[in-house]
Parts: sequence; C-alpha cells; structure tokens
Amino acid sequence: MTVQPSPASSTGESTDTTPMIVGRNLQKEYKRGSEPGRIGRLLGRSDPPAVRALDEVSISVANGEIVGLAGPSGSGKSTLLHILAGLELPTEGTVTFQETALNSLSRRERTRHRLEHVGVIFQHFHLLKSLSARANVALPLVELGVSKSERRQRATALLERVGLEDRITHRPGELSGGEQQRVAIARALVTDPKLVVADEPTGELDSETGKRVLNEFRRVAEDRAVILASHDRPTLRIADRVVRLQDGTISDQETEFESTSIHTQGE
Amino acid sequence: MTLRSLFVKWGGIASIGIRRTLSRATRTSRQRVLFSILGVAVAITLLVVVTGIGIGLATGTTVYDDDIDYWITPEQGGDRSPMIATDGPRFGSVHDGATQIEQTDGVDATTPVLSDVLRIEADGEDEYVLVVGVINNPGIDDVAGVNGSQLTPGDPYYDAGTYDGDWTGEVVLSEGAANLLEVSVDDSVSVAGNESFAVTETAETSGDSIGNVPTAVVQLSELQTLTGADTDDQADQFVVKTDSPAVQDDLEAIYPQSEVLSRGEMTASETVDADLPLALSGTAFIVAISIGTLFVVTTTGLEIVADRRQLATMSAIGISSRSQIQLVGVQTIVTTVLGGIIGGLSGLASIWLVNTIAVRVLTTEPIAFAHPLFIVYGVVVALIIGVLSLPALLFIARRITGGVPT
Repeated sequence: MTVQPSPASSTGESTDTTPMIVGRNLQKEYKRGSEPGRIGRLLGRSDPPAVRALDEVSISVANGEIVGLAGPSGSGKSTLLHILAGLELPTEGTVTFQETALNSLSRRERTRHRLEHVGVIFQHFHLLKSLSARANVALPLVELGVSKSERRQRATALLERVGLEDRITHRPGELSGGEQQRVAIARALVTDPKLVVADEPTGELDSETGKRVLNEFRRVAEDRAVILASHDRPTLRIADRVVRLQDGTISDQETEFESTSIHTQGE
Repeated sequence: MTLRSLFVKWGGIASIGIRRTLSRATRTSRQRVLFSILGVAVAITLLVVVTGIGIGLATGTTVYDDDIDYWITPEQGGDRSPMIATDGPRFGSVHDGATQIEQTDGVDATTPVLSDVLRIEADGEDEYVLVVGVINNPGIDDVAGVNGSQLTPGDPYYDAGTYDGDWTGEVVLSEGAANLLEVSVDDSVSVAGNESFAVTETAETSGDSIGNVPTAVVQLSELQTLTGADTDDQADQFVVKTDSPAVQDDLEAIYPQSEVLSRGEMTASETVDADLPLALSGTAFIVAISIGTLFVVTTTGLEIVADRRQLATMSAIGISSRSQIQLVGVQTIVTTVLGGIIGGLSGLASIWLVNTIAVRVLTTEPIAFAHPLFIVYGVVVALIIGVLSLPALLFIARRITGGVPT
C-alpha cells in the first residue's frame, strides 16, 4: 500500500509537495536468534526463523509535513522510523532522501547522512549523562568541526528556544523528563536537519509536559519534514496525516486527524 | 572537511573525552571509573616503590641525607662491617692517615676503627664482647652503635708515633654488655686480661648497632696494644663524618687500595649483588606495565560494553565510529594518566613508609630513593599502559558502536 503526501499541511501554511523522503516497498526481517555460523552449519544447525517487521510498505513525506505513525506495539512503527532515518537498512525496498538512495550508502556514509540531514529524538531521550545540557546539544556540531564558540552559541540559542535557558549547565540527571526531552529536541535540531524523526516523544512525559513538547514539534515542523511514531492519540493530533500500521503493513491513513485540536490544547 | 575543521573536531572530541571521564569519575559512574584509575594507581605505586628501592640499593642512599658518613675499608672481598671485621687486611699508620683525612676539605671528623672480640671480666662475670677502638674526635658520636664521646679526646696513649702517652683505661660499655657483666660506671673491668680499665659510661645502643651484640668502646691505641695491632699502627677501617658527598674521590686517594663506601652501602648494599637493583627495577617495570595493561583492558573494556547504549546514541545522532573510537581512546588515556599521577604520589608516600619501617627494623638509614620525578615516571608508564591498552579497547569499541539505542 502506498501513502502519498497530503496536498497541504493541516496548518494551512504553504508546503513544498516535493517528497523529502520516499520509502518504496520496504520490507524488514529480523532473525530470531543468532546465525549458526560455519561450524554450526557443518553440525547441521539451520538458520533461525525470520520475523517480518515490515511488509511492502511505501511512504513519502514532504517538506513542512508532519506525519504520524500510529499502531499498536509490534506493528512496525519504530522499525519504519529507523529505516527512514537511516538507522537501519530494509531487507527489501528502497529509501530515497532527496534523490539519495540510502541503501547505496556505506555505514559511515549513512552516519554522516544522519548527522547532516536527520534529527533523531528517542522516547528515552538518550542524552549523554556525563555531559551538560549544552554539551549534549552541541555534540553533533563537534563532529561537523564547528568551532567551540559557535557550538556554544548555537546550542545556547536552541536551549533558550525550548525554554531551558536556566538549565544550560545542568546534567541530564538534574533535569526533569520534560526538560530532558526538550534537550533532546534541541540536539536533534542543532544541525538544522531536513528531516526529524521522533519515536514516542511523549511516551515518558505527563500530559502537561507532553503538550509543551508537542508545541515544540509544531515549531520544529517549519521548513522540514517530521515523522513521529506514537500510539498516543493526543500526540498524533499534531500530525498533518497519520499512517496506521498493523502487523508490518499500512492499514489506513487519516489526513484530517483532529489536526487543529493540538493548537487548542497547546495554546 | 578542512584541516582546521579537523583540528577543531579533534579538540572537541578530546575536550568531551576529558570532561566525560572526569564527570564519570566524580558523578555518574564513580565506582567503575575510580576502579579503573585505582588499578593503574596500584600498579604505578608498586612500580615506584620497587624502583625507589632498586635505585636506593644501586646508588647507596647516604647521599639521601645531608649528614653523610663514609667508611674507608681495605680493598678486598672481606667483611666490611666494623662489627665483624676482625681477620681481614688492615690499614697501617692509621693515626697519620686519620690526620691526613681530617685535613681533607669537607671532612668534619674521622677516626680509625679497630675491632676485636675480647674477653671482659668483672667481679667474677666474664663475657666475650666486641671491643672497638676509636680516637674520640668531636663530631664522631656513635661507632658500632655505642657513643664514645665520654672517652678522653685525641687517644692520649699514642704519642707522636710511640705508645708511651697517658694510659686512660677508659671503657664505654653498651647497655647490653654492662648488663651481662653486671657492672656500672666506675667499676673496674679486665679487658683481655688487662685489669687497668674502668667503666666510663654505659650507653644505650643506637640504630647503628646490630642486634644486641655486647659492645665496648675503648681508646684505639690501648686496644692496639692489647691485640698486637700497635705494630705498624693498624686499624680495620676509618669512619668519616662529612656533609659533602664530593669528598669520596679524595678519600679514595689517601689509601690507594681502599674502598670508600657510604653508610647505605655498608649496610644494605653489601648484602645484595650489584645487578640485583637493576633487575628489580626492570622486573617491576615489566610487571607494572603487564598488570596495568591487563587491568585497564579488562575494566575499561567492561565499561565500554556497559556504555554501549551511549555509543549507539552517538551513532544515531551522527557521531562517526572513528570519532567514538577517538573518544574511547581519550577517555582511556585520561583514566590511565590520572592513575599515573595518583600512583606516583602514593608511590612516594609508600617509599617514605618503607624507609621509615626499614630504618626502624632493618638498616641504619633509608633504603629506597625518592624523587619528585617519580611522579613523572609514573605518568609516563601510565601513558605506556594506556597506549598498550588502546588496540584491544578500540577493537571492543569498534565492535560495540552502531546499532539503535534501546
């Protein structure tokens, strides 16, 4: 089943309908258990059974669009998210990011691709515990060879933007869950990526904090594509359209998923 | 990426590595990181202590202190200690020799030392006692652990090359000898059958004594007369008091066939082979590096495995495997260098402890050499440990990096 981008964003702002990222006929299989190896095969061990996490999924996301991935646990949301982010490769199918086929990239090139073009936000934040909020946000800029002063300036500006100007030198352990998630959002945006993917971004937050974080996502979506996976309905309300997954396949999509309600909630 | 950007990136990774290590050591992963640092520190401490002992034994530690003593002994493989040097070759014309040594620049005082085990009798008690003959000169305090300063200065029985001066009959007994003979000050004693001696003082033995050997100190010329060493004015050795280590060469020139030894050499080094200190230090170096490297590979390797979620996070946000490996390298080096600094400092403290114990129970002065440069040595060896650990740790990091953080 193929899902195309919606003609315009639900906010009514102009949206470039040129797909930012396109996944075609994506399949992903995981082996349940370890490979037998040469000696194992000689001893007659067979390959472990494969589990299909994604089956013939096609999706495209346009610039300025927020796409929600919905579905129960094990439906393939996170797998699709990881594949679109370039964290994993599909077993079959192709992912094209602005005319670059991710399948053709080496592991190193895919890492570089994520650094330059993709911002990743995790449910459990995954901040580096031993670094301050600012150092966490600035970390990708180190890899880009950005000077120290510019790193500090950009990281500070982003932390101020997400309302953490008084938490700049705090370590993750000294921040609340919502604050940590906002640091993670700032980290994802610091390289000004064209695509932001978020896996259950409000999964560990209370509802009030979740609303604040979702408002950040709405601001983030300006001039970039956002894909967020969640099984939380309020979270999905900010999406321009929601793609439902069931057992690794797309079962449905909604283009008007109570899309305006989030503004009422957040403002 | 330009060269400048590359340097900026490396600087940033080094900065993150240092901050991460310090933060983990003090806040987030205190136990694990401190355990790694402590492991290196223990290896470096042992290395510094053994090296200090090795250098101490190899060089003699008399120069360790400003208050330097030298012993001049006849050059041969015989006994060197004044306690037991009774049958070896002796120096002749020792009164003239002593005068010559005293005139050497930097020498504060000197005395020839003649020793023999003689029978001393007092009121029916008789014991064999180590009798030491000296010239009491200001500056010479203890000889063979007994203070002879109560003797009449200048050895008056020896008079311008003859033994016709004033016989003093003075004996200073060690407390042990006095107790054995059951005598006290002013009691008469017979030394080797000569009954003209009286106890001048009973003295507590100092650290220079060996065990509880009963000792008596008498005038040199009087002991020479008793033992027949007055022929050619003989003595076993000279003891020289000086504050200048530079006099050693001058002392060696006075008696051509002599050895000039520091006090440390007279005590500790006489019992060890000359190559032993070098072997000791070399072995300590190899053992410290081997144990330190294995320890760092094990503890830091476990830490990298435990840190794999954070490494996966770095991969996910675009930090390359190469940068992560560099980060692991920086953290390893920082950990080992911290261990080296702590190990160097605790090594110096341990040397002080070893010397304190040694002086109390083994020798007359420190056996281990200490120097602030040992801290630098510890850091350098820790760096070597870090560098040797890197290949294995980088291999582990290489295997761990990537994937999706869960």
